[in-house]
Amino acid sequence: MKTPAIVLMLLCAGPVLAADYKVPRTSYGDPDLQGIWTNATVTPVERPDWMKKATITAEEATAWEKRAAEFGERGSEPTNPETGAPDKGDDVGGYNSFWIDAGTKVAEVRGEYRTSIVVDPPNGHIPYKPEAQAKLYALLRNIAVGMDGPEQRPLGERCIVGFGSTGGPPMLPVLYNNHYQIVQSPGYVMILVEMNHDARIVRLGGEHVPPNVRPWLGDSIGRFEGDELVIETTNMNPGQSLRECIRHRVYFSPNVKVTERLKRVAADKIEYSFTIDDPEAFTQTWRGEMPWRAATGPIYEYACHEGNYSLPGILAGARQQEKSGTAGGGS
Amino acid sequence: MTTACPCIRVLCALVFASTAPHAAAHHAFAAEFDPNVPVLLKGKVTKVQWINPHAWVHLAAVLDDGATQEWMVEGGTPNTLLRAGINRDSLKPGTEIVVRGYQAKDKTCKPACKANGRDVTFPDGRKIFMGSSGTGAPRDGADPTERPRP
Repeated sequence: MKTPAIVLMLLCAGPVLAADYKVPRTSYGDPDLQGIWTNATVTPVERPDWMKKATITAEEATAWEKRAAEFGERGSEPTNPETGAPDKGDDVGGYNSFWIDAGTKVAEVRGEYRTSIVVDPPNGHIPYKPEAQAKLYALLRNIAVGMDGPEQRPLGERCIVGFGSTGGPPMLPVLYNNHYQIVQSPGYVMILVEMNHDARIVRLGGEHVPPNVRPWLGDSIGRFEGDELVIETTNMNPGQSLRECIRHRVYFSPNVKVTERLKRVAADKIEYSFTIDDPEAFTQTWRGEMPWRAATGPIYEYACHEGNYSLPGILAGARQQEKSGTAGGGS
Repeated sequence: MTTACPCIRVLCALVFASTAPHAAAHHAFAAEFDPNVPVLLKGKVTKVQWINPHAWVHLAAVLDDGATQEWMVEGGTPNTLLRAGINRDSLKPGTEIVVRGYQAKDKTCKPACKANGRDVTFPDGRKIFMGSSGTGAPRDGADPTERPRP
């Protein structure tokens, strides 16, 4: 087995307090954020109803992580193949749990173990206006029943962007492939999102493109404030208003402004935070924080279109059910 | 509403405590597969398509009369298994497997009948990949305390 270089580095270096950490610089003097990172975490975007506190102790975090690990292990235990086919009319399910890679650690930010990525408002919940909440539910209903053509299917299913808000902004953890690669050059920072192999190209300085230009991941311009990279994104594509996946669902208006901050606080850790400014959708500006941890590479290509049998399968299935009079939508 | 497998929903509820809806990962499994046509498939692997967004395991399922029917069974992203040290050669053609799942709503069976691999095991009940490689559950590759790659 090859010991990952990052592990050796950490073992040899010993503990480094965040306050003592000196952020490395590129050859041209910018703070160096380059590398492969993951934002996978047990901590959800919004605080669970049963979790009353914003932070928990290290022991409580360990217990939460242990429950997560045990659940994954239970899903991988042998089963009796003689039990026959599953029940008719049951939830069709997905696939074995060994395909899932949603993280093993509670999000730790500045020594605090967090119970939600959302930190403001303090209740850990996204502060929707009622009309925005209604739009969210309407969009979710649309993708549950809209099978007439590919345009009615969600962007992730069509391989246009990754599912949920993995590409962001804000970049939020999903069920798997929570990996990012940062590459810098003078005047630019590129963030490669493993899923769907989306490259966010952040121009350092300058102005946003005209408002009629609406890239799938918006238009991002950045700047360094000391050691911190600040990215401001506007011009969001209206098709990206809904970000839905099994771990989160978020609605933004197309006029949202997302401000992200990335600060390397250790050789193996970036503090990632984001601020959502969208008065059309929310009752207040809201914020989230989470760690990105160094990951052993490589980052893998997620060539979604390469084998996306699912989309034609879904549409062909809907056509067959229409013919047979059994069409029932996606639920 | 679309759904992923029950284990995923419970995972969200109990472990990640997400307020997420019943939405699938890359796509809606409930939109693709027919809950009224459960299947139990037994046969030998003919090939594995190690592709994104979802890998497909092909098998020659043995029918009641002894003939075989080509099926392809949908799994998850291969990227996750690559990080766990598993690759497309880890499940070799000729390996006997058992699939419990549901047939696709698209029943044209071209180029093969399709089903989801809600539960894919060896004949003795061990989960494929888990039982063959000795590796543990999927990992995010970032934790030095995680079990090493094989």
